[in-house]
Amino acid sequence: MTISADEFVYKLPGNVAGNKPGAHHSHSRGAGLAFAAHARLFDQPDPRRIDLHASLCAIPRNWMVRTHYQRAAIVVSAIVDVSASMHCAVPRNKLELVADFLKALGFSAFRAGDAVSLMAFDQGFREDLYLAPRWSRGIGAVLADRIGACEARAAPANALRGLAECLERAAGGRGGLVFLVSDFHWPLDNLELLLPSLRGTMVVPIVVWDAAEIDPPARTGLLSLRDAESGEMRHLWLSQRTRQRWRAKLRQRRREIDRAFAAHDIFPFHLNGVFDGGRLSSYFLEQNV
Amino acid sequence: MTSIEFTHPLALLLLPLALLPLLRRRRDALPFPWLGLLPVDPLGSVLQRLWQALAMLTLAAIVLGLSAPGIKAAQIELIGRGAEIAILLDRSSSMDAAIRVHQRTVGESSAALQSKNDVARQALTWLLQQRPKNRFSLTLFNVAPIRVAPFTDDIAMVQAGLDASDVGRGPSDTKMGLGILAAIEGFEGRSYSGSRAILLVSDGGARLDKPIRERIKQGLARHRIALYFIYIRSSKNSPNLELVGTDVDARVEEVALHVFFAGLDSEYRVFQAEDPDSMARAVAQIDQLQNLPLIYRQRVPRIDYSRYCFAAALGCGLMLAGLGAVRLERLA
Repeated sequence: MTISADEFVYKLPGNVAGNKPGAHHSHSRGAGLAFAAHARLFDQPDPRRIDLHASLCAIPRNWMVRTHYQRAAIVVSAIVDVSASMHCAVPRNKLELVADFLKALGFSAFRAGDAVSLMAFDQGFREDLYLAPRWSRGIGAVLADRIGACEARAAPANALRGLAECLERAAGGRGGLVFLVSDFHWPLDNLELLLPSLRGTMVVPIVVWDAAEIDPPARTGLLSLRDAESGEMRHLWLSQRTRQRWRAKLRQRRREIDRAFAAHDIFPFHLNGVFDGGRLSSYFLEQNV
Repeated sequence: MTSIEFTHPLALLLLPLALLPLLRRRRDALPFPWLGLLPVDPLGSVLQRLWQALAMLTLAAIVLGLSAPGIKAAQIELIGRGAEIAILLDRSSSMDAAIRVHQRTVGESSAALQSKNDVARQALTWLLQQRPKNRFSLTLFNVAPIRVAPFTDDIAMVQAGLDASDVGRGPSDTKMGLGILAAIEGFEGRSYSGSRAILLVSDGGARLDKPIRERIKQGLARHRIALYFIYIRSSKNSPNLELVGTDVDARVEEVALHVFFAGLDSEYRVFQAEDPDSMARAVAQIDQLQNLPLIYRQRVPRIDYSRYCFAAALGCGLMLAGLGAVRLERLA
């Protein structure tokens, strides 16, 4: 089996909770390679694991058995923002980018033996897009289809109620990994209130920005833009100076997002225009250092 | 008087269309995820306002142009000095002959002499130029009267008619009575606005029969027309009208005519012209005589402003196209 280019490897720092055998370090005892402790044969009646040396040293004399930590599987939740700004097609729908990521996530999670669940929010929780945790080889395609085909709901922007419900459900899953996929084009203040509910869970914010958002058009001219959410219009004379201010504003916003998460010891992953599984793998490696 | 009127005022009902550019159309702007990411650019807003203003102006100008605004055709009353002068010029063949009062000297060619018509024309041209505010009409006569120009203050028109009388030769017969009647008819239906005169330029007389005399007499009296007879003496043999009294039983045509004119109730004067100089003097005398205040009405045609509207619309449209050319149609 070859690893497709977009697939990524994720590994959680520390131990996870979970009884189902999987790929992540955990505190559960079982069939693993990591030595945990010795136990009496009486307590752990597993003669295959009798440790002769430990038995001789044991006082009082007893048959000792090695016990191991078992690798556990977790639930990986993808919480996807499907608000109007994510539907905005410049030049490519950002949700298509998200779909690429979800496809890769499906493959990667199946390989690691983890369950995947999907939650989506815009103004509220998107019940129609909800997918309970499941193990399946083709889960990535299912997720991608679901997100790719979803329709934008036009409603006043009150983004965070939906997110709060998503996080609540994710927190119910006792640890694990949560990908928070959004463009974060909403006030970040509320994030402070929401994130603590995910203590014990590894949160990976994936900031999806389109190439068109990051790079202003190179041509000089009059640019009329309409906010995808509010419908408000803005007109820019795109000169060299405006372009610089555009980029400066973008850098500032990126810093704001980074800072908001840094307070919770979380480092966002920036998805700029194209999804690259390799980059996400290195992100996880860096997190584990 | 200078109020604007519209030929098609109903077209103005379309004027609210000019507000269309104020409506925000989704199609005009590119969707963008979040404007909070972007800097605020005052220049861009100004350009957008300019675009809106130009678009509104274009629509308004087109609608205004369709309604065809303009200043109404009007008649304005002007007060000038002078008279309404009907020039009645003899255009018979005798006028093509040269003025020859003295005997031709040896070696003098006939071509060197000016024809009577030339002399009359020059003098009348001078009169026209002298009195640009007067109204003139021009009637030529020979076998029949030819109405060249009705009463007009367009001196150039009368002048052109006068110049045209130079072409060719006239027939020999002269029906002066009909000519005078035609000149009198020219005053028909015109309100009396100042002094009126008929300027009869001829080199000969005519015998008028009784009905025509009667009509001339009545016509002149009714329209209060003064009659000035510029009599061009062809030769020494022509009678000298200035020496003729009114009580002469005339056999000669000229004298008969003169006697008839003098016997009319209307004002009448005769000027004898024997050479170009005396002709000019006679005309100058008339110029002095008829110099009373004259009220005349001038017709001012309707001034249409719609083409200015369309020109403005075109200008605005071009500027819009210029703005459209710098408008970016897509991101990235």
